[in-house]
Amino acid sequence: MGALRLLAPASAAAACIGLLALGGCSLNPPRFTPAETDGLPAEVELTQVPFFPQKQYQCGPAALATVLRSAGAAGSPDELVGEVYLPGRKGSLQVELVAAARSRDRLVYPISQDLPALMRQVAAGTPVLVMQNLGVKLIPIWHYAVVVGYDLEAGTLVLRSGTTQRRVMGMRRFMSTWNRAERWALVVLEPRKLPAGAQLDRYVAAAAGLEEVGRLDAAEQAYGRAREEWPDSVWPQLGLANLSYRRGDRQAAEGGYLAALALDPRNVVAHNNLAEILGDRGCVSQARAHAERATALAKGTSLEAAVAATARHVAGATAGDSGVSCPP
Amino acid sequence: MTGFLKTLLVQVLAVSLLSLGSPLVVQAEVIGTLAGLESAQRDNDLARVNRALATAEAREQLHALGVDQAQVEARLARLTDSELRTLADRIDQAPAAGADILAVIGVVFVVLLILEAVGVIDVFKKFP
Repeated sequence: MGALRLLAPASAAAACIGLLALGGCSLNPPRFTPAETDGLPAEVELTQVPFFPQKQYQCGPAALATVLRSAGAAGSPDELVGEVYLPGRKGSLQVELVAAARSRDRLVYPISQDLPALMRQVAAGTPVLVMQNLGVKLIPIWHYAVVVGYDLEAGTLVLRSGTTQRRVMGMRRFMSTWNRAERWALVVLEPRKLPAGAQLDRYVAAAAGLEEVGRLDAAEQAYGRAREEWPDSVWPQLGLANLSYRRGDRQAAEGGYLAALALDPRNVVAHNNLAEILGDRGCVSQARAHAERATALAKGTSLEAAVAATARHVAGATAGDSGVSCPP
Repeated sequence: MTGFLKTLLVQVLAVSLLSLGSPLVVQAEVIGTLAGLESAQRDNDLARVNRALATAEAREQLHALGVDQAQVEARLARLTDSELRTLADRIDQAPAAGADILAVIGVVFVVLLILEAVGVIDVFKKFP
């Protein structure tokens, strides 16, 4: 309790700063550090991005159709309404927008949650799907829109928004609406395309999202692109091996997991999955060795239970006849 | 909806609910890439937070605030992946440590960030 009393003045100070910041909405464009805008053109507008005026409350389907079409995928707002619009809530859930994009073999990449990162996507020719809260925190008015342009000098963004094809919004005003929606923003890409400033973990997670929903060909393209970009990382290699397994090609999967372990001998998933395959085809001692390694590496992580199940599975495996050729 | 359809719907739902109640069989199978990636990221994020907590200055601050380090660690383990990621990112953005007054402010700030995230204190809540 002493701690709480001690901290009370700090709390009051934080509140004042918050209020001041809210009251400080001026027409001055926000200032960026030179590093933040390094290499960014002063002004960009992606005029070729299509516009689908929303009907009623259906900003989700309209905004999604906009970014899908830009990524070369089919999908009109009318088609998307059935997939992503909840009539009872007069809106669309974020997860449904993501799922609808993946079902069209498109990669969904969440961008870094700051304005310079957003502008970098636009400068690279990719419109950005954003969520905004046009109301206040207590009475939210959720809205999806697509950022298609910016002007650093004027401090403005251009959005396809609702029924407005070219909504010009001050960056400060945009930031306050975006902040209240937890700065949710993503780009939708063809699976072989890298976003501007692509980060390995995010890109592979985006590819793995395609793998999860069974869009294996699209996932393969994305993993393949990731392997070109980050040849030393275990994750694209592991993803490709998992795709082989899901397609039923166990021989290719086995080779893939071995290649993954060559890149990172401490990868839990590669050890675990290799143990499964080796156990199933009678290479019991090798399977147990990999299962043991996986068990040791997974201790205390979220994979512990799955690895323990594999260990039990291979413990009960029976050795194949002497004709089986097993890896060393 | 007609009465018949309603009855049918209720029956279908009842059967599907019943099947949910059957004991879950943990089937050994391969681990997907996403699960592996998420687990690795969580380990990485936890290590980033723990590094910040492990400095002598941070321990001193915790002690001065009367907070038990073990309690903080137990609560960190209960954060969701995304909460942990946000916390680790915010720590990395905090004022860098140096050998001056900023370093002291930085440590206090980082300690407050961690305590706020695990729910020991409630400093950074803004007004709506």
